[in-house]
Amino acid sequence: MFQYIIRRLMESVPTIIGASIVIFLAFSLAPGDVITANYTGGMNLTEERKAELRELYGLNKPLPERYGLWMGHVLQGDFGQSYLYNKPVTDVIKTFVWNSFLLSATVLVLQWMLALVIGVFSAVRQYSLFDSLVTVLVFVAMSLPSFFLGLLLLKLFAVDYRIFPLGGMTSTGVDYQGLQHILDVAYHMALPVLTLTLLSIGGTTRYFRMTMLEVVRQDYIRTARAKGLKERVVIFKHALRNALLPLITLFALELPGLFAGAIITERIFNWPGIGRVTLDGLYQRDYPLMMGFTLIIAFLTILANILADVLYGVADPRVRHR
Amino acid sequence: MRKRWYVLLSLVLVFSLTLVGCGSKPSSSPATENNAQQGDGGTDSTTPESSDQPETGYIKAKQPELVPEAAKKRTDTIVIGMDSPKGVFNPWFYKTAYDGYVVDMIFEGLGKVGKDGLVEPDLATWEMKNDNKTFIFHLDPNAKFSDGTPVTAEDAAFSFYIFLDPSYDGLTDMSIAKIVGADAYKNGNATTIEGIKVLDEHTLQVDVEEVNALTIRYLTVPVLPKHYYGKEFKKGDLSGVKKLNEQPLGSGPYVFEKFVPSQEVRLKANENYWRGNPPKVQNLIVKATNDETKLQMLQTGETDFEEGISVNRDNLDQIDAMGFLDRNMLLNNGYGYIALNHAHEPLNDRLVRQALMYGLNREEVVYAYSQGLAEVIDVPISKVSWAYPDEKDIIHYNYDPEKAKQLLDEAGWKLGNDGYRYKDGKKLTLHFTASSPNPVNDALVPIAKENYKDLGIDFIAEQLDFNAMVQKMEKGDYDMAFLAVSLTPDPDPSQHFHSNGADAKQVFHYSNPEVDKLIEAGIKELDQAKRKEIYQQLFKLLNEDVPYIVMYQRYNMNVISSRLKGFEGEITPFYNFVNALPNVEIVQY
Repeated sequence: MFQYIIRRLMESVPTIIGASIVIFLAFSLAPGDVITANYTGGMNLTEERKAELRELYGLNKPLPERYGLWMGHVLQGDFGQSYLYNKPVTDVIKTFVWNSFLLSATVLVLQWMLALVIGVFSAVRQYSLFDSLVTVLVFVAMSLPSFFLGLLLLKLFAVDYRIFPLGGMTSTGVDYQGLQHILDVAYHMALPVLTLTLLSIGGTTRYFRMTMLEVVRQDYIRTARAKGLKERVVIFKHALRNALLPLITLFALELPGLFAGAIITERIFNWPGIGRVTLDGLYQRDYPLMMGFTLIIAFLTILANILADVLYGVADPRVRHR
Repeated sequence: MRKRWYVLLSLVLVFSLTLVGCGSKPSSSPATENNAQQGDGGTDSTTPESSDQPETGYIKAKQPELVPEAAKKRTDTIVIGMDSPKGVFNPWFYKTAYDGYVVDMIFEGLGKVGKDGLVEPDLATWEMKNDNKTFIFHLDPNAKFSDGTPVTAEDAAFSFYIFLDPSYDGLTDMSIAKIVGADAYKNGNATTIEGIKVLDEHTLQVDVEEVNALTIRYLTVPVLPKHYYGKEFKKGDLSGVKKLNEQPLGSGPYVFEKFVPSQEVRLKANENYWRGNPPKVQNLIVKATNDETKLQMLQTGETDFEEGISVNRDNLDQIDAMGFLDRNMLLNNGYGYIALNHAHEPLNDRLVRQALMYGLNREEVVYAYSQGLAEVIDVPISKVSWAYPDEKDIIHYNYDPEKAKQLLDEAGWKLGNDGYRYKDGKKLTLHFTASSPNPVNDALVPIAKENYKDLGIDFIAEQLDFNAMVQKMEKGDYDMAFLAVSLTPDPDPSQHFHSNGADAKQVFHYSNPEVDKLIEAGIKELDQAKRKEIYQQLFKLLNEDVPYIVMYQRYNMNVISSRLKGFEGEITPFYNFVNALPNVEIVQY
């Protein structure tokens, strides 16, 4: 197993190099740069100054050299300076990514727990009233655009009935400590978490339902029932554990998303996450920030893939890695 | 039984989908600095509710007693809502307007821009000597930074060393000021700037190679404490200075307390403010808000003031309905225009350009885009600038297709059998490059297509991302494109209209010797009255020559809870609300 992990990690080196080239080219070949993005910013950017800035940022060098310089620094842990924030890219990412992580991780836990319960029940009672109702609700929630759902919840719970705050992560103008701080953040998180959970629960529920339906038709389930086991034991011990197998991959692949941020939801709820930051970065052509962040996400995705394969091997004795 | 369920379920589904369809509205385009056309999001061209000109200026709330409880509880704190500052709280390096507001609260400069857009003394007064090539700045001897240290000429001189540093990448281009020895310092080995001399603790001398009307704008630099920012300063390496961006220290009315990224900036009144009148309200919080919930923030009392609410009918109605909100609506110091590529036939012909101006129903376009909340303009300068020419001297290009046709005939473009115009066998075709998303283009393209077709012009529009459009324009691969520009307080239009201006040369390919002469004269002239005369002539000429199709000037709006008093009459398009803040009081109803 250990050898397998080492081998997979070695194999992913060329992948990450390839990814870095694609990321670099995608951003550098896209039309415009940070200087054109500031084109209408004012009337006082002369041609000489534009050239000077391009020289300063190294934007006038040939592409291979720029890539070499960038990669060289990245290998030393230096992702460069963000133009927009005027500080190192790693600092910008560090400032915002954990806020996004907190939000996404909470949503992930809720989403999977709820999806498990709902999915299993609707599979066990296929075509029942519960199943049909859940199916409809889940599809409705899935099909709502996030800005609509978010604004609707805000209007209901923050404007009409002022139960929850209108956005942000902490109360304005106060420094809570310890438990009070945790409660304050939880209070601010309620609506964005609700929004994101509602949006994401649909897909996962369908996966649970589908894999459960497949498993409950297997012979060994019939055998278990024939042995006279309680239905609860049959479903949760025999069926569910097998149904979970294909979902391991799905789960592992959702992990890099924890760090990617939810652009629209974060914006509507004024959540200080990385999603909004990257969107701004894209519009302002903040290359160092965008390239650094995308590279990190690419790296995490590759890791998650390896993790998915390893976990699958651990969980399913039929698949053994050597 | 099961079947019936399906029917019911599908009905529910369909119903819920319709609901969703009705409820969803287009999310407004992400506000970025480059989208100068931001705001005014709605392009809802429904029937006009009132065709009257909107009520501008400071409009007071009708029911001030309705201020929400949440806001009333804050007796010593003002909460200002605005798009999130990025945390670059440094006058040398900030890039967004929002960081700029925070900078204005904390820092002062040798001079500042006054209500009318002209430079006024701030930390210093100045005199000019030696054929106006030497500026002597006398700093106020009482001036102190918030840490108690005096503001000295040494501190002011330090600013020039930052602006002229070889690695400086901020927005100010100090080389324009032509300070003696600037080039030797910036691009050479000199360790000092020859033209910057500290005469004594409170006197600074700056020598320039040549002087013009803009010089003083560049020389009135922000003054930051050198003992604080200069600790890790080395020529060619500003990283030590930039490290302090999030811990600013200046001489202004407010002191910085805390920055929570993307959430809030907390400031306190500077109790030791050297002018002796610290701000009347103790605490000031800048809270990050977004377009979607700005108004709701005011409504629930989470903010007391909102820096920018898009001016559209919906928002105005909502503000008036809430009753307790004052609003201050002012013309934006900038305008929207359709750039023309003069390198392409037939746009180098003035008659054709005038025809394009007369032949486009600009009123209709601007109405469709703004619901009547923007003004159509005919001159490429803000209506509120002192350089704006007399209304009766300028040509008003009201929609007149007959006149446009006549001008095109005159220019030699004759109508062919297929309904299009031809000259020397060439069809009159114009390629319009439209950035997207952009509400102006959504309104403009269909109307222009129809109007120009009517004139016999084949108008072809293409949609692109903003940056892609700019790149295309720089390559000269376009005929027409819509852009918006924000102007500096000074009306000098060199960049756009002088043959050597960056945009005129690289993008518009516009050159008119007469215009050049007036622009040069306007910059050279130091006497304000004479300068005004020159610009009146210049803009009259530009009005006639149509270097591009000017479209409209929109509004900016501050919205203010009526519990705050002191903004009325204190804000102009050149002079933002931050100037008024220290004198603002909280009143209880």
